[in-house]
Amino acid sequence: MTDKGIRRAGVGLALVGVILVIVVHWLSFFWVATEVNQGVVQRIFYIHVPAAWVGFIAFGVAALCSAMYLWLRDDRLDHAAVAAAEAGMVFMTVVLLTGPLWGKVAWGTYWTWDPRLTFTLLLWFIFLGYFMVRSSSENPERGKRFAAVVAIIGALDIPLIHLSVVWFRSLHPTPVVAKPEGPTLPAGMLITLMLGLLGFTLMFFGLFLLRYALESARNRVVLRERRSQS
Amino acid sequence: MSRIVMRLVRAVPLAVFAALVLGAVVGAQESPFPVAQGMASQSLRPYAHVFIAYALAWIVVFGWVVSIGRRLARLDERLRD
Repeated sequence: MTDKGIRRAGVGLALVGVILVIVVHWLSFFWVATEVNQGVVQRIFYIHVPAAWVGFIAFGVAALCSAMYLWLRDDRLDHAAVAAAEAGMVFMTVVLLTGPLWGKVAWGTYWTWDPRLTFTLLLWFIFLGYFMVRSSSENPERGKRFAAVVAIIGALDIPLIHLSVVWFRSLHPTPVVAKPEGPTLPAGMLITLMLGLLGFTLMFFGLFLLRYALESARNRVVLRERRSQS
Repeated sequence: MSRIVMRLVRAVPLAVFAALVLGAVVGAQESPFPVAQGMASQSLRPYAHVFIAYALAWIVVFGWVVSIGRRLARLDERLRD
């Protein structure tokens, strides 16, 4: 696919995703029933869970591309890894901002050192380290390799986050969709959540493509400068 | 293409705002969908948390989109030179 094609696909996917997320906002405010125990604050669920889902996909893609980069040493894989890692940071920031707002009403506190919350914060810091390692090395190639290792280590935290509510005593609710006996959400909530997951996923892939195009353009600039210097 | 990204950046917050206003107007009249009983009696205070959460999510995501658009435009300019 050409650079223009990647950008067009990115804009198209992101637009469809944004439209779907707007529909989900409307559904979550005016259609879906209010949860009995938590009341209106439970509506944060429709943005918090999709953001977490996309954050995990993004960090997973970053780790996968990083592992393949270490194996094949293809710069395109490194570009994809950076793009996914940055997207993961953005969506995980959304998770870490919306979660405490929900927690303040549901638990009476913005933050508690609950296993799931702590592992999520740890994941965010590991990927912050990914960018620090990348930019702090004097040799860019070595920086890319070290960062790839950090991304792989960071992704190991994702199953820990998912299983922490099962393994440890936790304030955070246990999964309501991804569990062996199937989803236990009422139909309206499940439809809204699924549309949210789809909208956020499309938005992620669209923005990921745009960010990938940015990294490719940066690489072309660097190559051109090197050529002109030599 | 970066111009398209910047147009998208400008258009989407407006579309979100318009959709929310339109939704509020329609929702305030007669909803064709089921609504939980006793909603009116609930405290509206947690709505502030919900709105802040939604607003923060959009601000973070669109901040990132603006940053991608600006960086792309700058690199395209350098590639054109």
